[in-house]
Amino acid sequence: MKLFQKKHASLEDEGKASAWLMLLPSIFLLVITSVYPFIWLFRYICYDYNGYTAYFTGAHNFYHMLSDGIFWGSVVHTFEYAGLKLIFIIPVSFLLAALLSQKILGSSLFRAIYFMPTVISTAVYSLIFGFIFAVFNGSLNSILSLMGLIHSPVDWLGNPKIVMISIIIVALWGGLGNYMILFISGMGSISTDVYESSKIDGANGIQTFFHITLPMLSPVIKVILMLAITTAFKDYESILVLTNGGPNNRSQVMFTYIYQLIFSSNVTPQIGYATMLSVVAALIIGVVTVAYLILARKLDDVM
Amino acid sequence: MKKQIISALLASVMVLSFSACSGGNGGNAGSGTSAGGAKTTIEVWTNDRHDLDYVNSEIQKFNSSNPDNIQIHQTVITDDYVNMLSMAKSSGTAPDIAGISGSIGIDMNAFADTKMVLPLNDYIKKAGADFQKVTESDDHIYEGVNAVNGQVYWVPTVVRSGTRMIYNMDLVKKATGSTTLPTTLPEMVSLAKKITQKGAGQYYGFATTKDAPFVRCFEGIAEMAGQNRYGYDYVNGKFDFSGFKPIVEEFNKLFTDKSVLPGSPSQGVDAMRAQFANGKIGIWGNASQEAGVFTEQFPVKNFEWKVAELPTMDGKVQGALTIQPEKGYAIMSTTKHADQAWKVIELFSSKDFLKGYLEKGYGLPFSKEMTAAVDTSKTGRISDFALKDYESVYPAAPSITIEGEDMQKVLWSAVMGQRNVDTAIQDLNTRYNKALDSDVASGKVKRLVIKDFDPLHPSKGTLQYLDK
Repeated sequence: MKLFQKKHASLEDEGKASAWLMLLPSIFLLVITSVYPFIWLFRYICYDYNGYTAYFTGAHNFYHMLSDGIFWGSVVHTFEYAGLKLIFIIPVSFLLAALLSQKILGSSLFRAIYFMPTVISTAVYSLIFGFIFAVFNGSLNSILSLMGLIHSPVDWLGNPKIVMISIIIVALWGGLGNYMILFISGMGSISTDVYESSKIDGANGIQTFFHITLPMLSPVIKVILMLAITTAFKDYESILVLTNGGPNNRSQVMFTYIYQLIFSSNVTPQIGYATMLSVVAALIIGVVTVAYLILARKLDDVM
Repeated sequence: MKKQIISALLASVMVLSFSACSGGNGGNAGSGTSAGGAKTTIEVWTNDRHDLDYVNSEIQKFNSSNPDNIQIHQTVITDDYVNMLSMAKSSGTAPDIAGISGSIGIDMNAFADTKMVLPLNDYIKKAGADFQKVTESDDHIYEGVNAVNGQVYWVPTVVRSGTRMIYNMDLVKKATGSTTLPTTLPEMVSLAKKITQKGAGQYYGFATTKDAPFVRCFEGIAEMAGQNRYGYDYVNGKFDFSGFKPIVEEFNKLFTDKSVLPGSPSQGVDAMRAQFANGKIGIWGNASQEAGVFTEQFPVKNFEWKVAELPTMDGKVQGALTIQPEKGYAIMSTTKHADQAWKVIELFSSKDFLKGYLEKGYGLPFSKEMTAAVDTSKTGRISDFALKDYESVYPAAPSITIEGEDMQKVLWSAVMGQRNVDTAIQDLNTRYNKALDSDVASGKVKRLVIKDFDPLHPSKGTLQYLDK
């Protein structure tokens, strides 16, 4: 018995050792690429750092953040952008998934078409959208005026009242396919037996959708929503290319502002202050995500 | 067995990816002597892509023929060049030589303070008369641009002209019936209006862009009206933006007259250049790089285009127009081969190298010797941008950390009518001076004062750096 225990223990040790050995590469990468930069980030919160020399400024960055109108404006715009994006992208991609998960002719072709933007670089398609949105000889304006919908060209990216709508259009186009594929794979995991028995019970298509597909997908929807929320709050690439936060900061979101503080070529880089803001931005996104998770759990209890 | 094969495969993939990670920067990892120990590799970084064909061919010639066994290895870094340099320095992968131009936004004071680069004064002294003749290095010492406290860190070899106005002469003729070009800003604004009216939606008088619209011609017109482009008052050592007001107001008329190509404020600079080449824009402002743009990148084929001096406010030039000293090379302080690096700089600053370079039209000559040496029949349209006697280099204003939007953004939004010009200027005066005071107090920058500052000869004054 003792011998057995000993052998068992040594086997366990061996197992542990090899487990650690196997984990080592990923731990190493995690520390180097994730933990270390995070600590580095915290180091500069209290500094004015221009890339060469760091000057200690105490709580100055914090007070500056509190009174920085552009930053808080960008927080509002981030919520506006994320809210609008989510309101449209989730139902539309869900609907598309419901349609394209049916076995109809050409559904895989359409899946591929809708998924395509996901594999194209954001910078590239945003640049192309920049030309589509052009006021002078832009294709969107030409199409709309041919259809008789507008009488004078619309300034899609220069008009503060509609610039957000233009950006949301690009975001929808770019993200739709991704969520659609996630929904389709979720739908594929629902057992066909359930559908068959509901069919025998005489349920029609709409009833099946609301009483079987939707509830059975709820765990998947929960994860997709969480991913969508965090992505929507962190989006900035297309905004950077389309408007760079303009006109007059109307499309400035948190991360475009932070990016400009560090990389804008005509001012001294404010790495310390930008670090402060990115920590605040991370906190804001964290709070939103946690709030969503609590809400989702509550909904689970109700359902 | 199958599992074993798979795990072996996975293991080899992992090893490969690790080696790929660690080897990523190998190419840029600075200098070293090659296996034989005889050759020295000098790593050069540049952010100029437009002249690569010529520079690379000259490097090849040098590598195969120089008696000192120096091998130049050049890496082009166009994105975020300055940050890349400082990051490379702190991570120990800096090159031996960094190509520097006045227009890339290097904070030379910070570069010198943190000892990123080596002073070249001794090398310049030793280099002899030829180097002096070709580069006029003793005359081209600009505080905060290529020198700090008299220590020279890079020697410019070519120059980029100040901004000019470029006119589509066909549209000018159609609108006014003559080929006379405006000499004052109000005249230019009214010409833009006339062109737009004649165009009736087919073409427009003026265009701007979302890419640094401030520097295309607005800044130059302000300088020639006596308003410093940094907003810095050298005599009193503080910021004062009030001189921008009349220029902002006049430029704003372009927008209220609807003379600006619709949507151009949200379009990239290349899209607008293409529109100009397409005959859709009457007046376009930019510096000498446009010579190559309108002959090679977007060649103008169907109309005559003319380069003219910037308009002034009232016919008088009251301040020098900024030119950008370019194409200099600094030796990074981490190099182990400073002497060899200087030899490479001598190559890039030699008469033969520069003659070929300038005759390709990549830049304008910056010395009498080179101006005489260049055959202007070969340079193409860049000769239209030849330097004027009122063009010069200003000492760099203190590089301060401002809170909130920078001056270019604020003033340009006033130009576009998005905010009131008086409040914009007041806001800038307050914020910039507050930032200057606090940065001077914390020792981050020094207050630059030039009591005998002459706006027409900005580099000639006596500089004083004050601690308060």
